[in-house]
Amino acid sequence: MASATIETTGLTRSYGDICALKPIDLQVPEGEWLSVMGHSGSGKSTLMNLVGGLDRPSGGTLKVGGEDLLALSEDGLARFRREYVGIIFQQHHLVPYLSAVENVMMAQYFHSVPDEAEAKLALERVGLGHRLKNRPGELSGGEQQRVCIARAIINSPKLLLGDEPTGNLDHKSTLMVMDLLKELRAEERFTVVLVTHNEEVASWGDRTIYLDDGVLVRDERLGD
Amino acid sequence: MPTLKLIPHLLSYAGIVLVLLRAFAGRRLLVAVASLIGFVAGIAAAVLLFRFCPGEPGFGLVRDVVGGGFLLFWGVAVTAVYRSTGHDLPMTWWDDLLARPAAGAAAALAASLVAGAVCACRLSSGDSLITYLLLILAAALLVLGAHALERQLPAAFAVAPAGLMAVVVALLVFSSASIIRLDLFSPLTMKVMKFAHDFVHQFFESMLIPDHLFIRTNLWGYIGLLFGKEIGFWGALVILLVPVFLVLLSINFEPLPQVAHIRQGAQRRRLLAEAIGSRRRRLVIPGLSLVILAAAVYRSLYPSVEYWDPKPVAVTATPAGEIFIPKKGEIDLEDGKLHKYLYKAGGKEARFFIVMTPAGKLSVDLDACAICKPDGYGQAEGTVICYYCKTLIPMETVGKPGGCNPVPVPFTVRNDGVHLDAMTIINTWGSTVQATARVKEAGK
Amino acid sequence: MTRLLRSAWALLSSRVTSPAVLGIFLLVYIVIAFGTDETLITLMAVTSASTALLMLLALLPLSSAARCYRETARYLARRRVLRGEPTQVPEGLFEETVRLPAGGSLDEVKGRLEAEGYTTSLAGESLGAWRGASGSWSRIVFLAGTFCLFAGILISLSTRTSHRQSVLEGEPMPTAAGGGGVVEKISLVPGTGRILSRDLTLQVARSEAGDPAKTCGLYPPALYRGNFVYPRYLGIAPQLKFSAPDFAAGKEAYYVLNIYPAGKDDKVEFAGSPYRLDVGMAEPGDGSDPFVSGKITLLFKLVKGKDLVLNGSVPLGGTFERDGYRLSFPSYRRHVITDFVQDYGVLFIWTSMALFAAAFLIWLPVRLCFPRGELAIVRDGDGMRAYARAEGGRTRHNGVFHEMLDLLESRAHDRSQGGAGQSEMAGN
Repeated sequence: MASATIETTGLTRSYGDICALKPIDLQVPEGEWLSVMGHSGSGKSTLMNLVGGLDRPSGGTLKVGGEDLLALSEDGLARFRREYVGIIFQQHHLVPYLSAVENVMMAQYFHSVPDEAEAKLALERVGLGHRLKNRPGELSGGEQQRVCIARAIINSPKLLLGDEPTGNLDHKSTLMVMDLLKELRAEERFTVVLVTHNEEVASWGDRTIYLDDGVLVRDERLGD
Repeated sequence: MPTLKLIPHLLSYAGIVLVLLRAFAGRRLLVAVASLIGFVAGIAAAVLLFRFCPGEPGFGLVRDVVGGGFLLFWGVAVTAVYRSTGHDLPMTWWDDLLARPAAGAAAALAASLVAGAVCACRLSSGDSLITYLLLILAAALLVLGAHALERQLPAAFAVAPAGLMAVVVALLVFSSASIIRLDLFSPLTMKVMKFAHDFVHQFFESMLIPDHLFIRTNLWGYIGLLFGKEIGFWGALVILLVPVFLVLLSINFEPLPQVAHIRQGAQRRRLLAEAIGSRRRRLVIPGLSLVILAAAVYRSLYPSVEYWDPKPVAVTATPAGEIFIPKKGEIDLEDGKLHKYLYKAGGKEARFFIVMTPAGKLSVDLDACAICKPDGYGQAEGTVICYYCKTLIPMETVGKPGGCNPVPVPFTVRNDGVHLDAMTIINTWGSTVQATARVKEAGK
Repeated sequence: MTRLLRSAWALLSSRVTSPAVLGIFLLVYIVIAFGTDETLITLMAVTSASTALLMLLALLPLSSAARCYRETARYLARRRVLRGEPTQVPEGLFEETVRLPAGGSLDEVKGRLEAEGYTTSLAGESLGAWRGASGSWSRIVFLAGTFCLFAGILISLSTRTSHRQSVLEGEPMPTAAGGGGVVEKISLVPGTGRILSRDLTLQVARSEAGDPAKTCGLYPPALYRGNFVYPRYLGIAPQLKFSAPDFAAGKEAYYVLNIYPAGKDDKVEFAGSPYRLDVGMAEPGDGSDPFVSGKITLLFKLVKGKDLVLNGSVPLGGTFERDGYRLSFPSYRRHVITDFVQDYGVLFIWTSMALFAAAFLIWLPVRLCFPRGELAIVRDGDGMRAYARAEGGRTRHNGVFHEMLDLLESRAHDRSQGGAGQSEMAGN
């Protein structure tokens, strides 16, 4: 069995009295595409945030790519996020006054140094080579999401997280984005954790887990 | 209190030790011990030096050592920028030498020796053994403090060899600037002024260009700008700061690592980012050196010293044209202080002073020199200072012509006092002083 | 021996030599500065007295001359290449050298280059093209200037002699061998130009030794018996007649007095008497220059021992009498303290200034308006060599050069493809 990218034991997260995530044991091997499903408030985004180092667990253990995230300082977590993780959000969070290529270069800037040629190549890979200079407002939803994907993968992450990446897209754009993700994953071999409430989107993954009120209730492999 | 006046020197020493500890991080203990030994040795050397060569020769030697270090820094800076622009120099022997364990200790010993000597120059012969012991104790505490502080500094904060030299030299220059007799900037200003002055005169003489007597006044005014103290100040500032800028450039021009062989973009960029970050961090120390040197210039321009500058006393000449000033009376000419006089006759005037030199002889000189505007002289700490160019003239050399020394005037001393020829004073003032004298009838 | 000469030539013609020598002198200057305030004078004195330093200094003009020769040779070699004359092209003659496969018509390239504004020269197997004016001339003139400058400094330091003498109206010019022409007149007139406020002339009569009559001005200084006449200070030599009641014999003589400009005083001691005369020049009330106008009033104080006997003023040409004392200044002569300088280095240095000015005036318009670009394409065995060089407008020139290279390569490629196709067809 390939070494696990993500390993959690008794992972929990509480916000005061509210327990958003009850103890979860999870193992995600390297290169797997994991879809996380559940209704609103089930703890899927909480799980994704913990795995991506965006939040700290209240208890349990959490290792991602061999790193014990609980043992990392704030600077260490920031470094981990920079080097290891790429994130695609539902809301895009693109900088509205920067062009597509500049948005991608921003990710490079926070990682190391900007490289315009590399950013252009990344946008060409996601099919936006002709839209480099356009600002997000001039792009369609699907195009914006593709810019987000280019931004997320520009630093060669080992783990790609998506929080409802197709939530705001129409069906055609959704298919385009999912196709792209599949293609990139095949090329780059990163692990994907995709949070979605859409069964069809979830079915693109290798495995789906279901959360309900912070509890892992089901774990299905594609083909099961 | 002697300890208060030692603060700038001790701070400089602490800074030197801190930077040396960081530069030779693998040999901290050795560097720390060598620093303390060097400091104590420097104090001892200075004490012995002043015992055998009291006064100006002793100060001169210490100042020359600091100056020599600054010259060496110039060489290091030029070499650094030359190497960083891709030119090869056969310097592997130097790199090997720096890598040796003893290099850190040797550097610490040398730098601390000079720092200790400079510190000792601040103390006077009247200071007791207790003062010296307290000084050594303070140095030891500073070494311990620097050692502890250095460990707290982030590991990524590195010091390049040229940067190390920059900050050590800057701190030594700052330390010596706090003692007017060790100050380098004022003499450097004077040297630059003298160079400009001599060069123009030599150029005119060599090219057989007519003297100012024949040249239009407005044109001579422009030429006269080259004789101003501003030329000396800015020239000296350039000489002082350029090597630090060269070091900054050498760090900035360092080539980035080759990354073309790395296929992954993020990895290439990370390597480049690390190299750029390291380069930027290495700019901090030389940048700090600029600030320290600027502080040294400020100390040089505005020393915390009170100058003795008495109001000139008006004198008259006898009908035979002789000026007589009694040795004793209201003014005691032999008290070692500067005594100024003003002689006016027929619409002309001249200022001069009489002082007893350390050799026990009286000296009569114009209150002006052959180079500067006649702003006059003050007296402090065994020296005479030209107010215009801020050059210090040791008391031992007052009475000798040349440079920025006050122009000596012939005189005779008989038992009753000093006898001068009035016409000689007026003529010498008129022919020597470059610009119209500003009457300074108020003392400081 | 050849190796030694080659090394010497390499050293002399290297661009590093002059900066290195100047650097050594700078170090010497700095070392001297630690010990004395008269640094420049001391450096000059030390250099003139030291054979080693003079030899080191001699490297400067020699290096300039060598570089001048090298620059000229390279300019001529490039000219030969551009004109298609058969010649060796040494390495480094052009900035870029590219080897190409054979193929492509030089006629076509010639046409393209002419369309780009180049002048071309097609000669058999080679094509040369150029635009603009060559900056080599300004460089050669500049190097000639540096040669003159350093040679002048070397000659000046090693051979300059200067003697300060007093030149007096009515007296012969003071020369080492004696017998100079009599100085007939010294005159000072207001200057008319922008630089000199006053113009001084010394009119010297023909001497018995055969020196011609001469008028020596201020600038450029005149030559007299191989020495430049360099006036420094002006003075007055009034004829003074003095007698006193207890000095009836009196005294009559011309005395050279350093009392110009007004404000300076001088003394006259009368030997054999207790009298001394302190003399100064009065400032003219109308602001004129007494040396120019000749209207001089003298202020005097007659001192006997330590007592003041008389004081007053008397115009030149006048007499003062009182209480048996008689003081008169019937006439005066002008005098000039002059340096007689023998220094042929000065001529070189003046020449260098003119050459530097000429080099700048040539270089500036050429660089700004007609920057030079050169191309040459030469058939070489089974291939071609292309050379390029630019002194300005480098980007445009390199763009044209690379375009021509692309053209030649594509023609060579077409030719080889066409040849293969033809042989295929022939095979079929």
